[in-house]
Amino acid sequence: MDPNEKKRILVVEDEAHIAEGLKLNLVLKGYDVKIAADGIDGLQSWKEWQPDLIVLDIMLPGIDGLTMLRNIRLEDDHVPILILSAKGDSDDKVKGFSYGVDDYLAKPFNLEEFLLRVERLLLRALRYGAGGDSGRGALSDRELIYTFGGNRIDFGTLSAYGPRGEIRLTEQEIKLLKLFVTNRGKPISRNKLLEIGWGYPRGMKTRTIDNFMVRFRKYFEADPHKPIFFKSLRSVGYVFDHDTGETKAAGK
Amino acid sequence: MHQSKWAWMVHPIIVFIFSIVALSLSLILYIYWYVEVSAGLKGVIERAKLDPGQILAPQTWVVILVLSILVGIILAGIFIIFVYNLKTLRLYRLQRNFINNFTHELKTPVTSLKLYLETFKKYELSREDQLKYINYMIHDADRQADTINRMLNLAKIESKTMKGKFVNRDLVAVSRQFYEKNQHVFNGCEVFFHNPSSRTLECRIDLSLFEMLLMNLLTNAFKYNESKVPRMDITFKPKGRKLHICFEDNGIGLRRPEIKKIFRKFYQIGNSENMTAKGSGLGLYLVESIVRLHKGKVTAANRESNSGSVFTVILPMNAPATA
Repeated sequence: MDPNEKKRILVVEDEAHIAEGLKLNLVLKGYDVKIAADGIDGLQSWKEWQPDLIVLDIMLPGIDGLTMLRNIRLEDDHVPILILSAKGDSDDKVKGFSYGVDDYLAKPFNLEEFLLRVERLLLRALRYGAGGDSGRGALSDRELIYTFGGNRIDFGTLSAYGPRGEIRLTEQEIKLLKLFVTNRGKPISRNKLLEIGWGYPRGMKTRTIDNFMVRFRKYFEADPHKPIFFKSLRSVGYVFDHDTGETKAAGK
Repeated sequence: MHQSKWAWMVHPIIVFIFSIVALSLSLILYIYWYVEVSAGLKGVIERAKLDPGQILAPQTWVVILVLSILVGIILAGIFIIFVYNLKTLRLYRLQRNFINNFTHELKTPVTSLKLYLETFKKYELSREDQLKYINYMIHDADRQADTINRMLNLAKIESKTMKGKFVNRDLVAVSRQFYEKNQHVFNGCEVFFHNPSSRTLECRIDLSLFEMLLMNLLTNAFKYNESKVPRMDITFKPKGRKLHICFEDNGIGLRRPEIKKIFRKFYQIGNSENMTAKGSGLGLYLVESIVRLHKGKVTAANRESNSGSVFTVILPMNAPATA
């Protein structure tokens, strides 16, 4: 990252006035700013434009901010994200931080405070990113290799080892597996899986998820018809779980 | 997971069924034991050669009758409490939903206002920019005032003290005027008025309330809309002494189970947990209250051919003026 380069900031905010006010101030501070009016647009801009920082609202049409946050964090753990939301209870903040947000500011906010926080986040990211890691695909630095049962997933090389030997994984499979691993023991609905894993709220069939689950079971279950890791919950969705004794997250 | 295994035990319906079964069982047992005891007593009386008719016969049935009535009252009481409890629970959930969304509704304009005021304090902007942002602020202040007015109006309509200033007006003209006056709110959307009978359709209405109704129906149609050009067709059809006004949009339509619920107070389509729902959940409730105040009816349905919904407002019409 070139420190002299203009920093790019993506503002995901559906209230046009607030979005423009934020843009005005950030541009006056010398940043390059882009506005996305909803979650779907936001995800697209994040992928195409690769911003250095994201300012995120929670209540958004299409995909809400928290789902968007989780989607981004599946692929990129480093890009600083600041939530700017009308929901300012500590419960909401805890939820945001647990999904991987870097900073949280409740509306209405103080302009100076907002600008300083943005500056700090960018500075910290600059120092962090100077280590040489580009940031992409580095969700679980500590857990690049994940083992459960007799299986092993290597998130770094997109490969895995299961009862039927070596497996090459696709990017989409890796994303879904990350989602399951980070939500171990928690049931996730098919719709949520679609939203977080793909980022499309409409137009896609939940059957897609079922097809992926069939594949995962073939990869990792001793008997794909009697799954013990990737279980389906009737009328809820899917849950991934395994015994703790067998877990071992290998270090870097 | 282990918690939820037993969670159904404390579910209100299960508790309710258990208490009713327990109470009914106890009634049966009371009667059974009573009969048994009195049979024993009878034996004693017979052996003692007393007059049994004098002591037992009337008493047995009176006791059973009184017991049954009492238990019946208790059962009815439990049932009523149960129903009320369910209602309270539902209202509580809806209210939380409302507070969540209303927080957003109230905070957004304030956030915007504060943001621009602080920007003005910090920077010297060009006059042109200043005017542009001042207009934003005026708009935000209006929005805040609207929200507050909506709350106050709702309170007034609900308290039933509202009499309204009813006047005779041609609704086609009123609707057209309203749209022209508020065109800036519906930027990028198309609204068409149809009056196939081409008569003057007069109804007795409260002008400000009727405008509020129009505003709610129109904003809803454009808010829940994914078409490239959101469009609304308003058709005025006189049917006998009633005027049917159809508001037809090309929005996302309604899901069948939701059609019945949308007029409820605080009800909102969408999920407040994942926060895709927005607004106060009062719009359509307000519409229904206003229509009721005009002694009319409002119904909702899906469009038959394309996606979209149709809201039909039925109002009593004035007799056509004799020429």
